[in-house]
Amino acid sequence: MALDFAFLLDFRWVLLKGLWTTLQFVTLALVIGLVWGFVLSLFRTSSNWVIYSLSTIYVEFFRGTPVLIQLFWIFFCLPLFLDVNLSDFTSVVIALSLYSGAITSESFRAALKSIESSQHDACIALGLPPTVRTLFVILPQAVLRAIPNLLSNVVSLFKESALVSAVGMADLMYVGQNIANNVARPVEILTAVALIYFAIGFPLTRAVSFVEARLLKVVKA
Amino acid sequence: MAFVEINNLIKRYGSLTIFDGFDLTMSSTDRLVLIGPSGCGKSTLLRCMMGLEDIAGGTISLGGDPYITGAERGKMTLDKTVQKEVGMVFQHYTLFPHLSVLGNLCLAPMRSRGMGKSDAQDKAMELLKRFGLGDRAKFYPSQLSGGQKQRVAIARALMLDPKLMLFDEVTSALDPELVKEVEQTMMELAEAGMPMMIVTHDMHFARNIATQVVFQERGKVIEAAAPNDLFGNPKQDRTRDFLKNVLNIEG
Ligand SMILES: Nc1ncnc2c1ncn2[C@@H]1O[C@H](COP(=O)(O)OP(=O)(O)OP(=O)(O)O)[C@@H](O)[C@H]1O
Ligand SMILES: [Mg+2]
Repeated sequence: MALDFAFLLDFRWVLLKGLWTTLQFVTLALVIGLVWGFVLSLFRTSSNWVIYSLSTIYVEFFRGTPVLIQLFWIFFCLPLFLDVNLSDFTSVVIALSLYSGAITSESFRAALKSIESSQHDACIALGLPPTVRTLFVILPQAVLRAIPNLLSNVVSLFKESALVSAVGMADLMYVGQNIANNVARPVEILTAVALIYFAIGFPLTRAVSFVEARLLKVVKA
Repeated sequence: MAFVEINNLIKRYGSLTIFDGFDLTMSSTDRLVLIGPSGCGKSTLLRCMMGLEDIAGGTISLGGDPYITGAERGKMTLDKTVQKEVGMVFQHYTLFPHLSVLGNLCLAPMRSRGMGKSDAQDKAMELLKRFGLGDRAKFYPSQLSGGQKQRVAIARALMLDPKLMLFDEVTSALDPELVKEVEQTMMELAEAGMPMMIVTHDMHFARNIATQVVFQERGKVIEAAAPNDLFGNPKQDRTRDFLKNVLNIEG
């Protein structure tokens, strides 16, 4: 069988539209997941037993189950429970935000825990009140330390987002599969789709290494 | 009344008792150097004085004010206004890595003393210049040598005008060639009349800076004397053994 990539040019706008959709819901889910994840990480360091347990169960559940099942669950079960009609786009954003929040909270939690107790000692020796300690000493260091991990999460979520094609969301993957079915050329089209994912994902992974090397120099003083 | 007064201090870590009725006094013209074998509780003593450790009994006073009072059960009482008159420098610098040198110096005066930004910065620059660090104000801790970091840490503590400074092995983490600059900074402080309590393993430096040397072992003061007496003519056998040991190791 001869490979022929030329026909792909006819589909470039459809593919780009799929990519645009992917980028939109991934970005939204990342931003919401970042905020939600930070709140969760605080919950998980809470001394309140109920808050601690609920948030821990939540995080472990979302980290320990397949994203695909989470997607199905939000798509088909959530509307029934809440008796609402959600658009596909909204459902995808909700599902991926809930998932990325769980992952993100772990990055923040690890960063919070990695701050040496001597930093707290220094704060007390300088007479810093607890709020100042948290806001000006602990939080900025936690965020800096979490950045490399957070960026890796971005790359993973971007790739895992291809799963939403399974619930009929017209993302890049879904568009690719559709074209493949129509023109009966799955090898070329799926290769092309992979290359598009790669073209976005690769610079992101490079950015992670770059930022990591730079930040570690500053943070590990 | 003594400037610093520690009465009947009791300190435990779980079931491990570090101090069981420890007493110590120091006058405001003293620079007291604590020496003793590893694990005898020198760091613990300074940490208790700084208010970093919960104590199970006794009192610690500064200028006649008992600012820390231990409690066998529940929390000790701590007077934060007096605590703020004590400054401490640690072995591993503990600078804030995300802030510049200037940021490290200005954080506490601005955020907990309500000092204005320009006042804080002026004061910081003055201190940095005094320590020969004027050109490092914009640097981050990771861009400094160990000796510079430690001098910045000293300057940071001085921003709050402490009445007593605690130094816990501040040169132990440094390369030998960087020890001098930090010791010089401390000597300069000493000459300016700052009361200090210093923990060090460097007996030469101890002899130079101290007005009082306290030899401590297993949570007890074994001998306290002027440096020439304690190093030149120790009264206790255990002091003599200890000094013989460390001076041999030092060569
Ligand atoms: N946080 C802690 N929890 C439990 N035990 C501790 C803790 N900190 C110190 N200790 C113990 O208390 C004792 C005194 O420790 P400390 O650090 O005060 O000794 P030191 O005289 O400063 O020794 P060094 O010269 O090695 O610094 C040691 O036996 C140590 O193991
Ligand atoms: Mg020590």
